[in-house]
Amino acid sequence: MLYFIGLGLSYETDITVRGLNAIKQCSRVYLEHYTSILMTASLEELEEFYGKKVTLADRELVESGAEELLRDADKEDVAFLVVGDVFGATTHTDLVLRAKQRNIPVEVIHNASVMNAVGSCGLQLYNFGQTISMVFFTDSWRPDSWYDKIWENRKIGLHTLVLLDIKVKEQSIENMARGRLIYEPPRYMSIAQCCEQLLEIEETRGTEAYTPDTPCVAISRLGSASQTFKAGTIKELAEYDSGEPLHSLVILGRQTHELEIEYLLEFCDDREKFKQDVASDQEYFKPPAWVPPPEDED
Amino acid sequence: MVAFTVDQIRSLMDKVTNVRNMSVIAHVDHGKSTLTDSLVQRAGIISAAKAGEARFTDTRKDEQERGITIKSTAISLFSEMSDDDVKDIKQKTDGNAFLINLIDSPGHVDFSSEVTAALRVTDGALVVVDTVEGVCVQTETVLRQSLAERIKPVVVINKVDRALLELQVSKEDLYQSFSRTVESVNVIISTYADEVLGDVQVYPQRGTVAFGSGLHGWAFTVRQFANRYSKKFGVDREKMMDRLWGDSYFNPKTKKWTNKERDADGKPLERAFNMFVLDPIFRLFAAIMNFKKEEIPVLLEKLEINLKGDEKELEGKNLLKVVMRKFLPAADALLEMIILHLPSPVTAQNYRAEQLYEGPSDDPACIAIKNCDPKSDLMLYVSKMVPTSDKGRFYAFGRVFAGTVKSGQKVRIQGPNFIPGKKEDLFIKAIQRAVLMMGRFVEPIDDCPAGNIIGLVGIDQFLLKTGTLTTFEGAHNMKVMKFSVSPVVQVAVEVKNANDLPKLVEGLKRLSKSDPCVLVSMSESGEHIVAGTGELHLEICLQDLENDHAGIPLKISPPVVAYRETVEGESSQTALSKSPNKHNRIYLKAQPIDEEVSLAIEGGKINPRDDFKARARIMADEFGWDVTDARKIWCFGPDGNGPNLVVDQTKAVQYLNEIKDSVVAAFQWATKEGPIFGEQMRSVRVNILDVTLHADAIHRGGGQIIPTMRRATYAGFLLAEPKIQEPVFLVEIQCPEQAIGGIYSVLNKKRGQVVSEEQRPGTPLFTVKAYLPINESFGFTGELRQATGGQAFPQMVFDHWATLGTDPLDPSTKAGEIVLAARKRQGMKEEVPGWQEYYDKL
Repeated sequence: MLYFIGLGLSYETDITVRGLNAIKQCSRVYLEHYTSILMTASLEELEEFYGKKVTLADRELVESGAEELLRDADKEDVAFLVVGDVFGATTHTDLVLRAKQRNIPVEVIHNASVMNAVGSCGLQLYNFGQTISMVFFTDSWRPDSWYDKIWENRKIGLHTLVLLDIKVKEQSIENMARGRLIYEPPRYMSIAQCCEQLLEIEETRGTEAYTPDTPCVAISRLGSASQTFKAGTIKELAEYDSGEPLHSLVILGRQTHELEIEYLLEFCDDREKFKQDVASDQEYFKPPAWVPPPEDED
Repeated sequence: MVAFTVDQIRSLMDKVTNVRNMSVIAHVDHGKSTLTDSLVQRAGIISAAKAGEARFTDTRKDEQERGITIKSTAISLFSEMSDDDVKDIKQKTDGNAFLINLIDSPGHVDFSSEVTAALRVTDGALVVVDTVEGVCVQTETVLRQSLAERIKPVVVINKVDRALLELQVSKEDLYQSFSRTVESVNVIISTYADEVLGDVQVYPQRGTVAFGSGLHGWAFTVRQFANRYSKKFGVDREKMMDRLWGDSYFNPKTKKWTNKERDADGKPLERAFNMFVLDPIFRLFAAIMNFKKEEIPVLLEKLEINLKGDEKELEGKNLLKVVMRKFLPAADALLEMIILHLPSPVTAQNYRAEQLYEGPSDDPACIAIKNCDPKSDLMLYVSKMVPTSDKGRFYAFGRVFAGTVKSGQKVRIQGPNFIPGKKEDLFIKAIQRAVLMMGRFVEPIDDCPAGNIIGLVGIDQFLLKTGTLTTFEGAHNMKVMKFSVSPVVQVAVEVKNANDLPKLVEGLKRLSKSDPCVLVSMSESGEHIVAGTGELHLEICLQDLENDHAGIPLKISPPVVAYRETVEGESSQTALSKSPNKHNRIYLKAQPIDEEVSLAIEGGKINPRDDFKARARIMADEFGWDVTDARKIWCFGPDGNGPNLVVDQTKAVQYLNEIKDSVVAAFQWATKEGPIFGEQMRSVRVNILDVTLHADAIHRGGGQIIPTMRRATYAGFLLAEPKIQEPVFLVEIQCPEQAIGGIYSVLNKKRGQVVSEEQRPGTPLFTVKAYLPINESFGFTGELRQATGGQAFPQMVFDHWATLGTDPLDPSTKAGEIVLAARKRQGMKEEVPGWQEYYDKL
């Protein structure tokens, strides 16, 4: 059996009881270590908690070395641990498919993910649109297709959850092309950098999917003891020191419920200003006022 | 005695209409440096006695020892013309004083990159041709190169003394030989000339051809003789010039000119050129060489030649030299030809600007170049680096095309990979000092205005080999030079003493800087590779490296040649590769590119930096490409400019432009190191048929796309009948008839293919041309010498890439053997991986 086990957001104890029991009966345990990181627990703490040896699985091992991962999984139990929820990052569906091809039975044990825990900032999960990722821009690679998705979300008044890029163990372009396994030091995107990139693309596109004054919520270290929220406009957050990783950002949509705003006011510097910012932002994408259909003459 | 001062030169630099920048170009051993000496002698830097032997421009010890030019050398000369001559100049001039910046270039094909660098900074070329050997392979190459750079040629037919003394030809034979040579030069010119230049063919009767002997220091043009005779006959000089060349005869009885070779009575008449031009020369030669003591003073008096005291004592060859030098000083003829017929920078930049500049022809930089404007922003092209006496430092040698370069000025240094608006390959630094380069000496000057050639101190660390210097922020680059030769012969170098490794690395850097064409790289297995254009080039480079740049003992591997990997068919099935996360898929097929297109890319005719619409037009009109395909070329590779292409044939794929960058990066690496044995790909076109992408940018970054595109390219390549190409030399051998047998037997043994065998008219010499795989060329010269008793000396120039017909994946074939040996040498797995290795099933 191959177990896919969600670890939750932060603490080693965030794991579910069923998940923990599954780990205990596994002969090999892998921890996926590149789509996210567990913030408050180190590998040693995990090993101690589980009472098992845990192997770190980097991108190389999961994507190219699946053979090793799946070895004998039809005969013995193997656990594949994922920070957050198992399918939070779409990448692991491929591993499930490969296991199924080999007739390896698969069991999935879920957990909390940023995709649902984001609700703790006060915005209602019902009102979220497409999630996007913000990648580190390079000199020549500045992908902006996410801009259209924000536009689509905002058009129908939905919030946009922005996941910020992390590069835990990545190769440089040259090393990648040459197939050398030399890795760059880990990097995590900050809220400020994300907001700068947002502003840059809005400037080049200029179609006002959002503006520098669009209200957002910065979410830092969600689910850990030091979790913080910060509400403000994109312009303000571009200068916000968000501290240790990990971070996410939510761009507000037009359909903001009064309760949502009330909750957010807890996280902002200037309540009046924020209220005003939200109000003026709601002018964008406002549907035209309802005009009654002309009455038929006869 | 120095006949001019630096101040005089500097003041002349401002009168750009009176500047001539010119290169001396020719086949090896046709006497460029020797001829240049007679010009240097006129400018007064070396004494007259040594001219002809000193080879002033051969500044290096090995150049003097080997008697060949290796590096091009620049000197500035000063000359004054008479009012009468100045009137004949058909472009704007200002006064009688002229400044000539002359670059003497090497003739050996291995160093023709030096010629390219020289041509870039000059506007005119003095093409030297040997009377006896005629137009040779390198004459054609350098002429072609100069015409491609829009450089106007004039010709000097050199070593006429050999024809007179060794071959003892008759006057008419000599005329015919001259006429044939001029004709062959004109055939080449008309084949390669750019329409913009107008008629640049050379005509003796217009004074664009000179005849002479560099060794003896004399030369003449028809114009000079016309000058003498126009007074005597009372005829206009122009008319006289026409009469003194071609089918023009003078009847001494009737004193009439005619174009028939017989008079009214049917008696043969003597050709005017023979009668008026060659006759006095022949008579002088005959009288002096046959020691006819009584005739000599009569002749001398008639020709108004005055000998000084001790000169009268001379006899034989020495007397001949002195007399001829007084009668027809080479410098007079050459200077006249250069000043009268070569364009000034003002004239030349007007038609060269658009070809020199990468940016649009209406931007301020291009307009400034066009006008050769000394007051605009600076535009300067550095064409090569010249080692200074300070070890490891270089002068940046180049030409000011616009503006004025000053010592201490802050400039933008743009390398060849600079893209306007970006910061890559760009430095902003101050120029320490500007210097005038004069053969073995340099003279510092304060500034240098547009149109002049200059050396710069203090910017060498910021330039790899060449670059553009400018003060205009929006400036594009000056066009990068295309070399006619490529570095196809390579060796691995190692230090004998492990502690010397840092010195080797530093030395290799310096070597790379000092030579326009040498390629220094590191192989996958960590070997240091030095690649040159031929055995001689490599030998010189390694010698420089060992003695000079690194200064340490080296171990050098036997030379190997660079191969290319190519395909002959279309991929037999669509190649598919999935990204590591399996969410991105690339579908593509490989197919060959026509040789003409590859050559056009390598020759710069199809240029990745050109506007894509204009480029697509050329590809459609001239090479039969589909316009849509041609417009959708994503990139060239390797290094962004090689003869391999990625064509986007996908239909409506979302986010496609976001992965373009990764695809381009992957293709550069894939084409740089092919799957067969890590050699560059050539003539491979990859059509991307379809792409599946993950919806979120984070899952389709470089990490996912680059390895995928590389694998897909390899799979497509291996599915398309892969082949390898080897480089082939064109060999030209001049030799007497009895040596031909020996040549054939050596060529046979070395897989050589004879292309032609011709006798050079009027001489006992034969010219054999053959194709010779470069791989077989090592030691060829030596074996040839042995087989022909030292009578045959080959000239080898890279000609083309030849595809080996056999399967490179089968080690029992010739191609397979080469591949296997190379894989073993590089420590790769012996078997070439199959396409399945890079292919992913759906």
